[in-house]
Amino acid sequence: MPKDDRHSVSATDNFDPALFGPAPARDERFTEKRRWIDCTNFPNDHALRIIEFFHRQMNEELNGVENAAQSLADFPDADWNVRMSIARQCADEARHVQMFRRIFESRGGKLGEYPILNFQFRIIAKLGDLLSRLVVQNRSFEAGGIDAVSFAIEEARKRGDQELVDLFEMQQADEITHVRFANEFISESIRKDPRAALRVAKALTLASTAFIQVMGREAIEKVEYLTDEKGRLEAGFGLEEVKAATAQAVKRRASYESH
Amino acid sequence: MSLSVQDRAEYIATFRFIQVFLMEALARWVPQTPESEVKVLFGRHIWDLAQQADGLGKRGYELRSPSQFSLRPVDSYVELLEEFARTETTPQKIHGFYDVMLPGLAARYQNYLERTDRLLDEPSVRVVERILGEFKRMIGESEALRKELPELRLADKNWPAKLAKREASEPNIVVRRSSAAVA
Repeated sequence: MPKDDRHSVSATDNFDPALFGPAPARDERFTEKRRWIDCTNFPNDHALRIIEFFHRQMNEELNGVENAAQSLADFPDADWNVRMSIARQCADEARHVQMFRRIFESRGGKLGEYPILNFQFRIIAKLGDLLSRLVVQNRSFEAGGIDAVSFAIEEARKRGDQELVDLFEMQQADEITHVRFANEFISESIRKDPRAALRVAKALTLASTAFIQVMGREAIEKVEYLTDEKGRLEAGFGLEEVKAATAQAVKRRASYESH
Repeated sequence: MSLSVQDRAEYIATFRFIQVFLMEALARWVPQTPESEVKVLFGRHIWDLAQQADGLGKRGYELRSPSQFSLRPVDSYVELLEEFARTETTPQKIHGFYDVMLPGLAARYQNYLERTDRLLDEPSVRVVERILGEFKRMIGESEALRKELPELRLADKNWPAKLAKREASEPNIVVRRSSAAVA
């Protein structure tokens, strides 16, 4: 049976309805929270931290399937080639759900054991055009994922966790593909109509505002990793864009370390 | 009666329309469906349906249609598709899609294979046979999931038979067009 997320979310969590749409459906095994701070956030050295991460990531990948699928349904007149890429992304994200579920359960996790966040779907599916959705889902969130996974691969390697290294490397290769097709679509859209750049900027601003409402500054400032410059270049970002992303990440980390 | 190049192009374009429609139906269902395992199944099969549509779209171009061209089937079949896309419960979505709509479309592909000249139209035959093989895999994957999740069982056991009867009620779904309309 579908679970109404209103039963599991605090009444004080009223987000701006202009930024967030309805949640995707979940069955009764899952409990949705709206803010990062309401999730189970184990300290870095806690044994369950990685297990909880697998569960959280599995649900984020599910949001990835849901967002890509929603875009495929909502924009039937989009260019067939980009629709093919989005359809492929549906399958990739579905495979990622299975990958994270497998490792989560093999290490003792039970589905629904931890709360989940569905902010990615709530933010992205609320955007009214395909360009904005690909800007936020692929070029912003998934590109951030490329950076995060590079860091996670090194951490897993240091711990000698080869199973996890293999999983992350595969996930990263897929994400680079998703970011690349979105970057190509975005560049082409701006080439055809330079005013599209304004939509790109607006979508990023909306998503960033919404993201901060969910995560809070404390979660964002705790991010330890920098940018994966090689991965971002492979994903179709320009050199200047990569340098700017790196500078921003360095600034963010310096700010965190100074506190 | 033999099929002309235009006849074949119309069949292929009509099949493409259905493939894209079914892909979009699964895509629309993904966020609305509560069970994560079913979302995963649909997510994987969206890509299968897209590739099948793409193969038909490329073959249609070889048959002198525009690239990735679709033809809307007869109205009664489109009404059935649209009604089916509004299916609400997960068991009905699963049983309707994998026990009725895919097998129904498979029967139409099979009928096409029987009607076309396998030598003259070998590239279409290859595309269609590949799709038929993939349908078997997709149906098999849905059956495996139903074994894993008993809650996907249908409450109304007669529902698929009723849907199948409607699906089969229109044997010819291709709308004949003039040459100009196809090209």
